[in-house]
Amino acid sequence: MEKKTVEIRGFMQLREYFRRKNWPVPLILDLEEAISGYELAEKLEIPAEEVEVIFVNGFVQALDYRIQPGDRIAFLPPGCPGPYRIALGFYGKNQDNQANFLIHKKKENEQG
Amino acid sequence: MNKFIRVDMTTKKVEIQEVPEKYVGLGGRGLTSNFVNDEVKPTCHPLGKNNKIIFAPGMLSGTSAPNSGRISVGSKSPLTGTIKESNAGGTFSQKMAKMGIKALVIEGMPAEDEFYILKITMDGVTIEEAPKEILGGCGNYKAIELLNNKYGEKVGIALAGPAGEHRLPTANISFKDPDSNMRSAGRGGLGAVLGSKKVKALVIDDTGAPGVPIAEPEKFREASKVFAKALLDHPVSGQALAAYGTDVLVNILNEAGGLPAINFTKGRIDWNENIAGETLNATIKERGGEGKVSHGCHAGCVIRCSQWYPDKQGKLITSGFEYETIWGLGADAGIKDLDDIAYIDRAMDDIGIDSIETAVAVATAMEGGLLPWGDGKAVLEAVKEVAIPTPLGRLIGSGTTVVGKACGLFRVPVVKDQGIPAYDPRPIKGIGLTYATTTMGADHTAGYCISGNILKVGGNIDPLKKDGQIEYARAMQIGTAAVDSTGMCLFVYFGIADNPAGYQALIDMINAQYGINLTANDVDELGKSVLKVERAFNKAAGFTNAHDRLPEFFEYEPCPPHNEVWDFTPEEIDEVYNF
Repeated sequence: MEKKTVEIRGFMQLREYFRRKNWPVPLILDLEEAISGYELAEKLEIPAEEVEVIFVNGFVQALDYRIQPGDRIAFLPPGCPGPYRIALGFYGKNQDNQANFLIHKKKENEQG
Repeated sequence: MNKFIRVDMTTKKVEIQEVPEKYVGLGGRGLTSNFVNDEVKPTCHPLGKNNKIIFAPGMLSGTSAPNSGRISVGSKSPLTGTIKESNAGGTFSQKMAKMGIKALVIEGMPAEDEFYILKITMDGVTIEEAPKEILGGCGNYKAIELLNNKYGEKVGIALAGPAGEHRLPTANISFKDPDSNMRSAGRGGLGAVLGSKKVKALVIDDTGAPGVPIAEPEKFREASKVFAKALLDHPVSGQALAAYGTDVLVNILNEAGGLPAINFTKGRIDWNENIAGETLNATIKERGGEGKVSHGCHAGCVIRCSQWYPDKQGKLITSGFEYETIWGLGADAGIKDLDDIAYIDRAMDDIGIDSIETAVAVATAMEGGLLPWGDGKAVLEAVKEVAIPTPLGRLIGSGTTVVGKACGLFRVPVVKDQGIPAYDPRPIKGIGLTYATTTMGADHTAGYCISGNILKVGGNIDPLKKDGQIEYARAMQIGTAAVDSTGMCLFVYFGIADNPAGYQALIDMINAQYGINLTANDVDELGKSVLKVERAFNKAAGFTNAHDRLPEFFEYEPCPPHNEVWDFTPEEIDEVYNF
């Protein structure tokens, strides 16, 4: 039986992280069962605050999205410029994750 | 700023007037677009004597406000036939503002076939013969060096390159940056308007300039500090842009399936790693030498998205190596070597042509069989021919529409004859509405900044669905028109979109400078009024809603990997400008 895998990329500073780990781009990882973005990040030791959103098969998703075997994944740190942040749907997906607290740090501090 | 300068190239007379009452509260795009609508005959030929061209610093330019050094240039566009505002960094805007020059207008055209230089000092403007060495194919790098030698290292320069001299519709206006490289008012062929008026260059010397008066200096300083912090606190404007430049978008758009490739036949490539921002960053670091990962295009820029890209020996190839250029040549034209793309970028700067229009025209020429797909060396030679210009050079230099017609193609990615930039409108629908409706012809920077409560709307946007997209495209265009009037770089977006304190600080700086009391609502109203003026000009020039459409092929050619088509109805598109 063919092995079940996911194809994983990391952008911006996470690319450096891939390089340091000597991972190929893309990294092909065995994955038998569905897993959340958080769990996958943990498995790869990518800190959650380094991820604003993930791409799953070309669509922007939140970190709690369930990743299936066979998916194409990319981890995106906070730092995507342009109105594409809105147009690609970042603002609907980044609200509850830790990276967004980086983006809104100042506001949080002011309120806190 | 109290001087409004008019240079009549027919009579060679210069008039320095008081700023007309109507323009006192305006700057940047708000001023250039109002002026063009007021004074330029909408049906004039853009290269004829009735067109005018206006240079205006933004409302905050010349102050210590971070990122406020953009210069706006307005005219009727030879590429699109619409009104045009094209803006750039460099040193020109801040010098104009510090000298108290609200705007400089060039009108008329000489009968004789001689090129001139306008020299602007505190004593006024003189019209001088252009030195022969900078004419007839002299590249912009050399021309800036010669002008620096003649007028002094510190002068600001705005320049029409060889393409501008030949009045080609891709010709840009190149502005000298703090390191004597170039920043371009790229889109819409305004270099050709300068060339038609026989103005090779404007040289500005701000010796003795009084500086920009600030009505409430303490308030200004405070707001400026908050604003700078908002920019630097944000992961995009504070970190990512400095590290990876705008080219950071290659991998992101590619992953989203919205990176137009091989003349807009697909939205994802497998050679993205060759041209991505991460690779650009690593290559610059690895090669060292003159390479710089980050660099500001004007004094006071804290974002520093520009960079110096060196060759293998560490010698500078090109600076300001942007995503749109790298996308156009790398993905759309399929050139897989970043060095090849860098040399073409340098050639485009040197000749003075818009790197987006040229790249899209090149990809279209490849589809038309004029150039081999992905051949960087052939493209470099073809681009160099624009400076001569050979027939092929003239074709490429005339932009995407002309190349498409000459090659008998239907897949010609333009709106109002301006090449569509680096974001495919099929899988990213909101961008498509902006391309279709903006007063400028297809332009990603026309919908770049927030207004009103767009983030609330934006929270629900799905790139493939129509919901919220009309409101998004409308709000982004309104916000952009306002920010383009301030002299601010559009990348301040991040500091103001995600941080309400940053947005308020921007308004506070304007208020403190002028001693006024604008509110966020007033800023939105300013944006709306600019768009309405621009649209009125276009309407008088003969444009109707039927011109606010994407090319038909987007409706029936699905874009892989998402296989989406463009499906907004004409009625839906027309709603964007219903405000």
